[in-house]
Amino acid sequence: MISLAGRDILHSWSKYVFTGVGLGLLIGVTLSMAGIYRGMVDDAQVLLRNSGADIWVVQQETLGPYAEPSSLRDDVYRSVLGLPGVADAANVTYLNMQIRHDERDVRVMAVGFEPGQPGEPPFLSAGRHIARNHYEVVADARTGFRLGERIRIRRQDHTVVGLTRRMVSSSGDPMVFLPLKDAQEAQFLKDNDAIVNERARTAANPALNRPGVPGLLDAIQASQTTSRSANAVLVRVASGWDSEQVAEGIRRWKHLEAFTRVQMEEILVSKLIETSARQIGTFLVILAIVSAAIVSFIIYTMTLGKIRELAVLKLIGTRNRTIAGMILQESLGLGLIGFVIGKTVATLWAPYFPKYVLLLPGDAIRGLVAVMLVCALASLVAIRAALKVDPATAIGG
Amino acid sequence: MATPAIEVAGLRKRYGEGEAAVDALKGVDMIIHPGEVVGLIGPSGSGKSTLLKCLGAVIEPSAGRMALAGQTIFDERWKIRDLRALRRDSIGFVFQAPYLIPFLDVTDNVALLPMLAGKPNHEARRQAMELLEALDVGHRAKASPSELSGGEQQRVAIARALVNRPPVILADEPTAPLDSERALNVIRILNRMAGQYQTAIIVVTHDEKIIPTFQRLYHIRDGRTFEEAGEGRSA
Repeated sequence: MISLAGRDILHSWSKYVFTGVGLGLLIGVTLSMAGIYRGMVDDAQVLLRNSGADIWVVQQETLGPYAEPSSLRDDVYRSVLGLPGVADAANVTYLNMQIRHDERDVRVMAVGFEPGQPGEPPFLSAGRHIARNHYEVVADARTGFRLGERIRIRRQDHTVVGLTRRMVSSSGDPMVFLPLKDAQEAQFLKDNDAIVNERARTAANPALNRPGVPGLLDAIQASQTTSRSANAVLVRVASGWDSEQVAEGIRRWKHLEAFTRVQMEEILVSKLIETSARQIGTFLVILAIVSAAIVSFIIYTMTLGKIRELAVLKLIGTRNRTIAGMILQESLGLGLIGFVIGKTVATLWAPYFPKYVLLLPGDAIRGLVAVMLVCALASLVAIRAALKVDPATAIGG
Repeated sequence: MATPAIEVAGLRKRYGEGEAAVDALKGVDMIIHPGEVVGLIGPSGSGKSTLLKCLGAVIEPSAGRMALAGQTIFDERWKIRDLRALRRDSIGFVFQAPYLIPFLDVTDNVALLPMLAGKPNHEARRQAMELLEALDVGHRAKASPSELSGGEQQRVAIARALVNRPPVILADEPTAPLDSERALNVIRILNRMAGQYQTAIIVVTHDEKIIPTFQRLYHIRDGRTFEEAGEGRSA
């Protein structure tokens, strides 16, 4: 038996292709939305992977440093280093900020780290690692910064000495790595006006500016202008030790919060981007409904345009299942054309999205199955209409 | 005498119920033998289409008896379960317009019926080609229906009706869209095919110019048929 659907599609190929293009663009948007979600998850995982840490030590009762603010004194790492199972421990700071560049603002996450310690960018695509304690940075290529360029971070100018790739925050902002001390100043050091005001307030406080106690006011003012804090301590676990076991020791003995990689991934993927994921999920459901409605309408309209042929087919003895199969196959054919176009356009326009879009083959396969299911469901209305066609309409009278 | 291709006795068809009921057929009697081409004429609303639909097993008569090639298919109720298969294997249809399937080429339009009956594609196409050659449209075998002239399309439609060698062909105004010459040509073809394949053909028509060509002629009026006693009718 010949394929009636295949012949019909070949006969009216232009109608199917143009309809498929419209449907394909819709499918392309759907696949891109899934890709945006995957990109968000991947950004979160890249952030954890690239940090090189096994445990994140943060302020007690916080989900820091990415999901909530966290602040620790920067000497905490020394006591952490003394705990069993800790191979390396280093301070790190994270600060979301905007940097002016080429007449535009670039949104970045500034990461303060100590060279050779956890938190350092694991690889460079150009240039060199930071070699000085101040005023040098390594930037992700997506910032648009160029090697040798000078960029201003807060009050200081920094030279871009290295470039890296796929180093982004959980919200997709490219990272700029700078020496810990510069990062601490950028985040914790108050501006000059605030320092002058604070000093005046302190000096005006008789409890802090007592006569006959030399050096008290100076000591207090010095402590107010310190930037000796970090957002987290990144810990590398010694070989043979279990991360959870080491983290439990930190929680118990140092009264700090400690998250293993699995827990941090849970925070970033399940909690931090949960709302976005639900948002995208809702949008995907709406797109699926819209696609189903469009396919249903198109197939229904195409079927109504073939009423006379269907009546003749039924009159000459074509089985209902052959007619239903023809409409189902045409619907699936339309879905297949739409999917191929959708996948192609999603792949072509993905690099132009400002945030990372990750199109996984598994998602494409799931998308294809969903499209086929939606098309099969959408064909039901048309099949019902076709089966109701009275073969007697082929005979006049 | 050979078994009649069509035997109809006391066939009635009522639409609706109660006071709104309409009797479209009030007792049709008809016997047509294999190889005969019979005309059926009557004014609009006389019951021609209803009779054709009953004979074509498309609608169920209300009473009476119908037999196709000696097999009773209706006797107060359908005697055949699979009317679709009955239409496919035992009744050919030729319509006022050819109604060829636009997305199939000429060969597959004709071969579709044997394919639906389960014949292998190559066998169905061979059978179709044989008929297309016999009807002088073999050279258009690969053409799309839209590329054919009206006369060619109607010949392909006749080939489709004949391809399963049905004992009966029902032709509903087959010459309506054609000019005189082409109309007479179609009737000549139907006569030739009826003789060649021993198929009984009923032609419903309003076309005055082809009426003299029928071997026998039935008039239908107010739901009843009358056979016109005429001598010298020939193809």
